[in-house]
Amino acid sequence: MTPLIALFNFLLIVVGGFSAGLLGSLTGLGGGTVLVPLLTIFYGIPIIYATGASLISTIATSAGSASAYVKERISNVKIGIGLEVATTVGAIIGSLLAVYVYDHRLQWIIYVLFGAVLLFSLYPTAQKGRHEIPPLKKPDWTTRLFQMTGVYYDARLKKDVHYNGVKWWAGEIVMLFAGIISGLLGIGSGAMKVLGMDWAMNLPMKVTTTTSNFMVGITAATGSSIYWYAGYIQVFVAAATAIGVLAGSFIGTKILVRMSNKNIRWLFFAVLSFLGVEMLLKGLASNGSFVTSGTDRLAISALTSVILISCLFLVIRKQEAEDVQV
Amino acid sequence: MSKYEFNDILSTVLRLGVVVSIILLATGVTLIFVMHGADGYSIDQIASYGSGSGISGFSINSSSLPLTGILNGVVHLNGLYFISLGLWVLIFTPISIVLIALAEFAYLKNRLYVVLSVIVLFDLFFAMLVVPVFFHV
Repeated sequence: MTPLIALFNFLLIVVGGFSAGLLGSLTGLGGGTVLVPLLTIFYGIPIIYATGASLISTIATSAGSASAYVKERISNVKIGIGLEVATTVGAIIGSLLAVYVYDHRLQWIIYVLFGAVLLFSLYPTAQKGRHEIPPLKKPDWTTRLFQMTGVYYDARLKKDVHYNGVKWWAGEIVMLFAGIISGLLGIGSGAMKVLGMDWAMNLPMKVTTTTSNFMVGITAATGSSIYWYAGYIQVFVAAATAIGVLAGSFIGTKILVRMSNKNIRWLFFAVLSFLGVEMLLKGLASNGSFVTSGTDRLAISALTSVILISCLFLVIRKQEAEDVQV
Repeated sequence: MSKYEFNDILSTVLRLGVVVSIILLATGVTLIFVMHGADGYSIDQIASYGSGSGISGFSINSSSLPLTGILNGVVHLNGLYFISLGLWVLIFTPISIVLIALAEFAYLKNRLYVVLSVIVLFDLFFAMLVVPVFFHV
């Protein structure tokens, strides 16, 4: 490899990171979740280094976007820090699990789990925005103890939105798992964090997404230091992806605000489901339980993702139609 | 410290962390190309990431870049350590956020949240200092 080719490779990884960041922010799934399949499938980068680079890039994007949300006082820093108690413990467990998996050359587990997590994240992510603001629930004992009453100014509704978080403990349980997934797969697991705060704690969507954004960095930092010592961070690749993903998600956020046709999102979801199926099949192939050739995998993934996304599209359209009637 | 200042400080630190880190990363990469490598490794070796599902073949990763080498590496314009420093600045950015939150909670005498932020900090440093020693990662 001459220096020129090395430079070209570097820029190529930056471009990959940029696409991952762009797609991650346009879908709301986060750059890391797109970056790992991209690097392993199209760049041939070992999954160890792909997850290491992803975890590092996740901190960069989290810090970049959280900076704006914290300033606008939409993220609830208090709830975020409280929930980090569980995510950081989870991240330590998850990273140690990753070390065990890689030490025993069980890479296929990471591929399969990654594919599964990616596919399962699609439904809640696609549904996002359905119930922007949940009905105000009666505060429970955890609302008072953990001071989970908050208010933020909603620019679109042009009013202050008051909310009460409930069931702190339920949130903590979900966060523990989100942390484990983050450490094991090298992603921020923001979709799972949103789920926890949305379903378990009854927080408004704006608060959950922005608070999760803020939390992802702390979770990823925990896993990153273990990844560092384990040698999962190839600094040349990580530097390229950190720069690329950060730029991509920055541009993605700008586009998202101006995107008038929300249906374009479905195209992106199709890409994500393609990557999810591809990871799943790649894992099964290297495990020897379902051996497919590279081209077969591409065909199966493409077909499955089209079917999957069409079904998801119809289901969510139906839900939206019902919402309008109510 | 009012609520207003608290959020602004957090926001500034987050942005500063990212900007400083990206500058360090870009400097490191530039240095590697300008000096034709770093630390005795060629660009070729630094850029290669092995192949296959494991770490097979030669590649330079974080395990060969100790934190203790950063100061010396940066002084000697070693690109690899510039990147290392940039990555550690990134890792420390969220940690500093928790530290600032801890200070804010202590100032407001919010005992419960002081305890919660201390636990989070403990976990962060546990991962950084204790796990590598005891688990032979």
